[in-house]
Amino acid sequence: MTYTIPIGPYHPALEEPVHAKLYTDGEIISDAEVFVGYNHRGIEKLAMERNFIQTIVLVERVCGICSHSHALDYAMCVERIAQMDVPRRGQYIRVIIAELERLHSHYLWLGIACHLLGHDSLFMRIWDEREVIMDMLEKLSGNRVNYGMVIPGGSRRDVNDSQRQELLELLEHIVPPVDRIKDILLNDKTVAMRTQGVGVLTTEDALRLGAIGPHARASNVKIDVRRDMPYCCYDEFDFDVPVWESGDVFARVVIRVLECYESVKIIRQALENLPEGPINLGNKIPRVPAGEVVSLHEAPRGQLVYKLVTDGGPNNHRLSIHVPTFRNAPTIPTMLRNNTVADAGLIIASIDPCFSCLDR
Amino acid sequence: MQDYQVIPITAADVVPTAEQMRAAGRMLIMIHGYVNKDGQKVVSYEYATDKGIASYSVTGADALPTISTIYSTAAEWPERELNELIGVEFTGLDTSVRLFLPDNLLEGNGQIMVTPLEELRAKNVEAKEK
Repeated sequence: MTYTIPIGPYHPALEEPVHAKLYTDGEIISDAEVFVGYNHRGIEKLAMERNFIQTIVLVERVCGICSHSHALDYAMCVERIAQMDVPRRGQYIRVIIAELERLHSHYLWLGIACHLLGHDSLFMRIWDEREVIMDMLEKLSGNRVNYGMVIPGGSRRDVNDSQRQELLELLEHIVPPVDRIKDILLNDKTVAMRTQGVGVLTTEDALRLGAIGPHARASNVKIDVRRDMPYCCYDEFDFDVPVWESGDVFARVVIRVLECYESVKIIRQALENLPEGPINLGNKIPRVPAGEVVSLHEAPRGQLVYKLVTDGGPNNHRLSIHVPTFRNAPTIPTMLRNNTVADAGLIIASIDPCFSCLDR
Repeated sequence: MQDYQVIPITAADVVPTAEQMRAAGRMLIMIHGYVNKDGQKVVSYEYATDKGIASYSVTGADALPTISTIYSTAAEWPERELNELIGVEFTGLDTSVRLFLPDNLLEGNGQIMVTPLEELRAKNVEAKEK
């Protein structure tokens, strides 16, 4: 028997609204379609009526999880067109926040993945550990989300010596729990049965469909903007870009755990080698001449792309935002094919989608 | 610092450029579009290079060939989005269903980027009341 099964736009397995139609042959999904647009807020249109400082506040609200990534990418666009040379200390602080954001985003998704695959005790454990990261972000910025740490020309707030020492000590406490979480995820039978061989995206399909970020790296595609097109002094840090071959949900879990180690490594290096000097170029609204530029940033979910077009006026002429989910969501039907309906929620969630980001 | 280079091309160059980039293993980063101050539509195809981005830009074309046959969904969704936002037609692409914008907001495509925000807000309220 063939059935068409709708999932969403509002569904317990989905954190945000999205609609998928599953075409099934009995329990097996033969094809699928994904429909988006339920969170469309017209951010790009609003940006056309904002100046270069107001837009930072606006783009931070594209997403509650990776707000720093949006502000950072936009600021890099403005700085490139206005030829602003960001002080190195400001760049390092941006990196620290970006990697803390990656950590809490990966923890968040790992927790959700555990919840979806029925391992609720691990879900609570991971989210408990996530609180340590959130506390660190709050210590640095004053906020748990929407940190407001970026301005065109640098960072808004400094990291003083006592904060630096405190963060270095906290970092020591992050790694042992990650070891334990990794051990459970790699060796637990429940996790293996629910994730191994489920929702496979082959390397060939990942390249053909243009998958990016941890989603691509879990399919053995070694891409990472931080390494391939360094920015914000990322070329001064020693870190690896982990990849996994199997391309299934299990690989997506493992990749995110391995990336946590790399983020801790980067944060430690940034804190230990934090350069002296100013953190920004002052708080004035920058004068931005006519121009256009594309800026890339490796956000927690993958490559975040901002394109800014200016006309010499006080506002953005056009701001385009392409988020990782924009590239990864179209891979969902390919991953769903030949899997069971029961796994659909987990497979959709396995790209770590952010539909608020996607719809803008 | 990521390099950025703008290379003007014509509508006829879009597919050969995409084929060349695909053959060279270059990633399509994004397809971007806007309406310039002269009212012309500008569509740019941003490809990854060794240390940055090359932007192949077409100005003044109302219709362009789709490159979704070459770059699959990495091109299809951005093309559908641009069709909604600035009204560029992509020959060979099914744009019968909107990707992002609500179905009841503005008839036809390409108006949202050139309609003032106040007018859009009023139309949005009107659409919701219907």
